[in-house]
Amino acid sequence: MKIAVILGLILFAAFLMVPAASFVYESGAPGACARCHEMAVPVDQWAGSAHRGVTCAKCHGDALTTDAQFHMTNARRVVEHNFGQVAERAQLRPGDVFAILQRCQNCHPQEYASWAAGPHSVKYEPLFLDKKHNSERHLMDDCLRCHGMHYAGGIRDLVTPLNNQGPWSFRDASMADKPAIPCLTCHAIHAHGNPLKGHVRKAGISRKEDVMTPSLAFWDRRARESVSVALLPLPAVHEGERPVKMSPDQRQALCYQCHAPLGNTQVRSGDDRTPVGVHEGLSCFACHDKHKQSTRASCANCHPKMSNCERDVETMDTTFFNKNSGHNVHFVKCADCHPKGIPAKKAKLERARQ
Amino acid sequence: MLTGVKSLNRRNFLVTAAAAGTAACTGRPETPWRTLTADEATTLEAWCECLIPEDSDPGAKRAGVVRYIDIQLTRKFKRHRKAYSQAINALDKLAYAQNRGPFAALSFDERSLLLASFEKSENSKAFNMVLDHTLQGYFGSPRHGGNKDYASWRMLGVPPIPVRGRLQYSLLDPESNGGIS
Repeated sequence: MKIAVILGLILFAAFLMVPAASFVYESGAPGACARCHEMAVPVDQWAGSAHRGVTCAKCHGDALTTDAQFHMTNARRVVEHNFGQVAERAQLRPGDVFAILQRCQNCHPQEYASWAAGPHSVKYEPLFLDKKHNSERHLMDDCLRCHGMHYAGGIRDLVTPLNNQGPWSFRDASMADKPAIPCLTCHAIHAHGNPLKGHVRKAGISRKEDVMTPSLAFWDRRARESVSVALLPLPAVHEGERPVKMSPDQRQALCYQCHAPLGNTQVRSGDDRTPVGVHEGLSCFACHDKHKQSTRASCANCHPKMSNCERDVETMDTTFFNKNSGHNVHFVKCADCHPKGIPAKKAKLERARQ
Repeated sequence: MLTGVKSLNRRNFLVTAAAAGTAACTGRPETPWRTLTADEATTLEAWCECLIPEDSDPGAKRAGVVRYIDIQLTRKFKRHRKAYSQAINALDKLAYAQNRGPFAALSFDERSLLLASFEKSENSKAFNMVLDHTLQGYFGSPRHGGNKDYASWRMLGVPPIPVRGRLQYSLLDPESNGGIS
């Protein structure tokens, strides 16, 4: 009987609480979310962002969200707030980052599909449990800078054992199929900017022309916040002593956070892919699709019919045509195929063309 | 839906319900500050701006130094809460005594002169405390509330995140590790 009464009271409380809380938040949205001081900053940021037309509840949930963890997190925050244990700032948990991914898909299905078909949609398992990699190289915390950057712990919390013998496994098996480079790696949803649709129309920019989306930002794992691409550095890359001509495309600064040269700034060092040779000066985005990273059909952007050599560039002996080619398309030079200089016939044609 | 707990037991539900009730009763904050009053924040902003004034780069005010101090007064600086109130009151009193107006209403030169005498008075400890915290808020990481948009790091030419490549070594190939043993 006692249990039945308690259950009845709980059900009655739930009956009243959910619509009441829903009303409180939705009546004042989005200001309702800024009732707590720690929420004021992200709400202010959102109000000036390209996503200001998307209400808080659309991405974060609301009083009617059926996920228990969502309500427990909010409850914990309120309790902590009332006990004076106020966080420096409100932040998404790693679990929320993965959940947000699905919500990005709701409004950006094409971008999501491209990302899902490309290498940046790689999951934790093939990255961290790769036998060849783990037997040849050490797993370390710095791996998480570019792979699994939203993971809250260190590499010791993620993989065991940390040696070169294995067998390796995740301490939390559920991490295996989580995306290691989700949307929030390169996009800050609350970043300052105008909604893209209006921006493109007002500026009179062709719909085919690429524009820099305001949300571009890199997730800094140490500070646990996104840094706008405008604030990220473009490195000065060198080939020997010679400074390499760099594209001024600031969007590349995102790529250089992970595909970076070593401290000696030499091209091809580390994971650098700065183009030199025939493609020197091109931006990463001149050839690579933004989300899929694919370069297919990109040659036609600059080589509409034939190359300067009057050959189909897509079938030349480069890594574009054959991954095993000795001529990496990032670094290929005329001299790689013409070690004795450009053939006279071609040179004559070239002069005639000029 | 967000990830995590699969079931909601009675205890969790009661905690959630109690907290949600509290949330519903919580009103909108009167000021954007966590611990400082609006007047205190105005005076402190003027104080910090005197210590790091704006030129071609943002000063302490635009870099959010007072926001940093305000946030930390609820956390690491809790023990300084009283000292801040006393210091701000003392400075305003001095301003009223010498200039017949609040400190924040004075010109930059007047404020600088006043702070110079404040520093040399019995309030030197409070002055140094605010100076220390101003420098922390201005030059520290933005994650703690100050250095808004990396203002000071940009002034110094320090990138928010440096470009750092990784050596592509192999433990099985000693030649590949760049000479690192």
